[in-house]
Amino acid sequence: MIQFEHVTRRYGTKIAVSDLSLEIPSGELFAFLGPNGAGKTTTIKMIVGLLRPSSGTIRLCGHDIAENNSAANRLLGYVPDVPYLYDKLSGVEFLQFIGEMYGLHHRDLKARIGQQIDDFRLHDFVEDLTESYSHGMKQRLAFAAAMLHDPKVLVIDEPMVGLDPRSVRLVKDLLRVKAAAGQTIFMSTHLLSIAEEIADRVGIVAHGQLKFLGTLDELREALSTHETSLEHLYLSFTAGDEDNLPRDRRPSSPRDETYIEGRQP
Amino acid sequence: MSGHAAVTFARVPIAVEAPQLSQSAEANLLWRVRGKMLATTVRQSLETARLRVTLVILLSLLFWYGLFGLFSGGFEFLESTIGDKVTHAQTVQAIYNVFFASLMMMLMFSSAIILYGGLYCSSEAEFLLTTPVRPERIVLHKFQEAIVFSSWGFLLLGSPMLVAHGFQTGAPWYYFALLLPFMAAFIYIPGGIGAVLCMVFVHRLARIRRHFFAGFILLAVVAVVLLCWSLLEKTEANLLTPIWFQEILGRLQFSEHRMLPSWWLSSGLLEAARTDSAGASWAESLLFLSLLISNGLLLRMLVVELGARIYRVSYSELRTDRARRRPSKRFWIDQLVMRCSWLLSPQLRLLIVKDLRLFRRDPVQWSQFIIFFGLLALYFANIRRFSYDVNYTAWVNMISFLNLAVVGLILSTFTTRFIFPMLSLEGRRFWILSMLPVERDSILWGKFVFAAAGSAIPCCLLILLSDAMLSISPLVMAIHQLVCALLCIGLSGIAVGLGAKMPDLREESPSKIAAGFGGTLSLVISAMYIILIVLLTALPTHFYLSALQSDGDPYWVHIWLLAGTASACAVGLFATLVPMAIGLRAFRALEF
Repeated sequence: MIQFEHVTRRYGTKIAVSDLSLEIPSGELFAFLGPNGAGKTTTIKMIVGLLRPSSGTIRLCGHDIAENNSAANRLLGYVPDVPYLYDKLSGVEFLQFIGEMYGLHHRDLKARIGQQIDDFRLHDFVEDLTESYSHGMKQRLAFAAAMLHDPKVLVIDEPMVGLDPRSVRLVKDLLRVKAAAGQTIFMSTHLLSIAEEIADRVGIVAHGQLKFLGTLDELREALSTHETSLEHLYLSFTAGDEDNLPRDRRPSSPRDETYIEGRQP
Repeated sequence: MSGHAAVTFARVPIAVEAPQLSQSAEANLLWRVRGKMLATTVRQSLETARLRVTLVILLSLLFWYGLFGLFSGGFEFLESTIGDKVTHAQTVQAIYNVFFASLMMMLMFSSAIILYGGLYCSSEAEFLLTTPVRPERIVLHKFQEAIVFSSWGFLLLGSPMLVAHGFQTGAPWYYFALLLPFMAAFIYIPGGIGAVLCMVFVHRLARIRRHFFAGFILLAVVAVVLLCWSLLEKTEANLLTPIWFQEILGRLQFSEHRMLPSWWLSSGLLEAARTDSAGASWAESLLFLSLLISNGLLLRMLVVELGARIYRVSYSELRTDRARRRPSKRFWIDQLVMRCSWLLSPQLRLLIVKDLRLFRRDPVQWSQFIIFFGLLALYFANIRRFSYDVNYTAWVNMISFLNLAVVGLILSTFTTRFIFPMLSLEGRRFWILSMLPVERDSILWGKFVFAAAGSAIPCCLLILLSDAMLSISPLVMAIHQLVCALLCIGLSGIAVGLGAKMPDLREESPSKIAAGFGGTLSLVISAMYIILIVLLTALPTHFYLSALQSDGDPYWVHIWLLAGTASACAVGLFATLVPMAIGLRAFRALEF
């Protein structure tokens, strides 16, 4: 599970994430939504240990990430929006490298690699050097690598970018299966339909502040609206960020500056 | 999340994670991956570019052999010029001390700069930081890379000199056997100091980094100015006399400080080269080697310790220490370039201004440019403080052409390091250029014009300064300006043309692109081009001036001078057009 306790991250004088408190329990698929520059990537970089909070604490399965990053990372799988792969390694060699780094033993590792190749349909290209992969292939390999050691927490930044429709379906199903099996999944996305379809809870962030936290039903309830589309609800919460939209395309509801917390699942 | 009560969560039991790899297993894993990647790269190169590999190896060997010949000649010259054995030995020791002290400083800065890129700007470091790999292992991994990338030039320059000295003095076999261990042990020390400085600098001084950096540069410049001032102070003695040598040696005493690793290196090697007391000198040499190794290992430990303690924190600090800077939209130099290049097409002018902006906003590029050319300007401005008799025509002519060659050689490192990778670095953003209504040829010509014009202005001014300080005649001055322009144009053509012929579109790091086969080939060809052009013009000028001094003015000297200059122009034209034609053809066919 992931716990944020009053987490703030500043870039000089600019506050990227402001006093974020949030708990994502085991087995939950959490979607983190927000416009560009809202603080999503900063939050993800703090979870995976690339950035440290200016104040506050992030715990991953009980480990304070700032204090014990290495232990926290062993429980974590991370899929960035632009995955890094060693271009002079083949897909199999990359998976072997990741597996060994997480301390998987030879026989177990071989079986797990085989499983990931099946799950993500990597057969056709897994023996080729990764330098020849398309973005979608790289993304699938990155998913396979992140899930290879069966992490307790999976953090994904824009999971569906570059994936073909079949792969999107595959990833969506797999994420649901993993969440059902007890894995905590923290997913940042711009694709509202994905969040709508598979997320247990959503968090909407704007200007570094958590504007909403809850289920989709709770979101509708909080806004007292009969709108069924997450897109419309999302636009209501992030209205201030779309000031550059044409007047007739801006959301109708007034900008809500208050934090609204939905029911905890 | 404003205006709501403080939130505190119940502590959850700490999950049991997979056991962490041991230090040695972690190291083995990263070495294995590196080995696999290297093997793949070598295999690919041998399969697809055997001719290129062979050519690069042969040219590198030729370059090495050329340097070896140069150093052998230099040592022979010293032996014949300085009759006194003690003075000769002191002179060789002084040359070693100064040579290695200078290289030590360069290694320290280059490894610090390369490590900074590897630790704080590379995608691999970012990836590894999200894995269970210990931060100190990442630091060590990148430190080893920085050592390799910063020291290949040292090996290429240092080894021919050391081998030449060994042959010239008839050194015993163990002198040659110890060369590599000595050099490897030495490299670790400036590399380690650079690594420590790099991490401490980023960690402790993140907030005042720019101010500190400016102060540091200022102090360094002041120190170098004072040093040059004391070194170049006019001597009372006549040139190349034993007293002159003694005076110069006295001024170079700073490089003999017993705490300098460069002194340990030169002393250890000179001890090993001695033939008079083999047993004692062998033991003494090993003592110096042990000193280098133990200090290298100590610095390695310090790098590892700092990596464990501050790398992760400093990485985060660096990434978050300030908000994004917004560069000014218009800058006077852009407008000046746009106005001055009115003859070129608007697209070509825009491309040149774009490259100029990228150069200006990359401190690694402009800071190295300013440091090296600034030091050269300082040297040229003080050139008369040497005890040269400016009436000694042959000597002045030699110095002026050597200055020209030095400017060319420094420029060639810049064209290889920064111009050669330019096209490779466009690979990831080529879609932008390909969407523009610009011919591919224009892109390449734009880079050529940018490189040639950008280098010709400072280089020609430097040579003008050198010539003015040496009171060179207007005719020779004109020849120097022509040669300098030929060097700038030819070196730009070689770097841009070969950069287009041998791009590495996947590599993000310009230093890695420059250190590849293409970069090495570009550097070797550039060096050969400089030597050829300078020789073609320097020799006829020398004989022309000698003839003038001896009151003779035979017609053949004029013809030779004319022929040499014309040949240099022809070689310059060839060195510009042929690589550009090869590059243009390859670039037109390139698929992104």
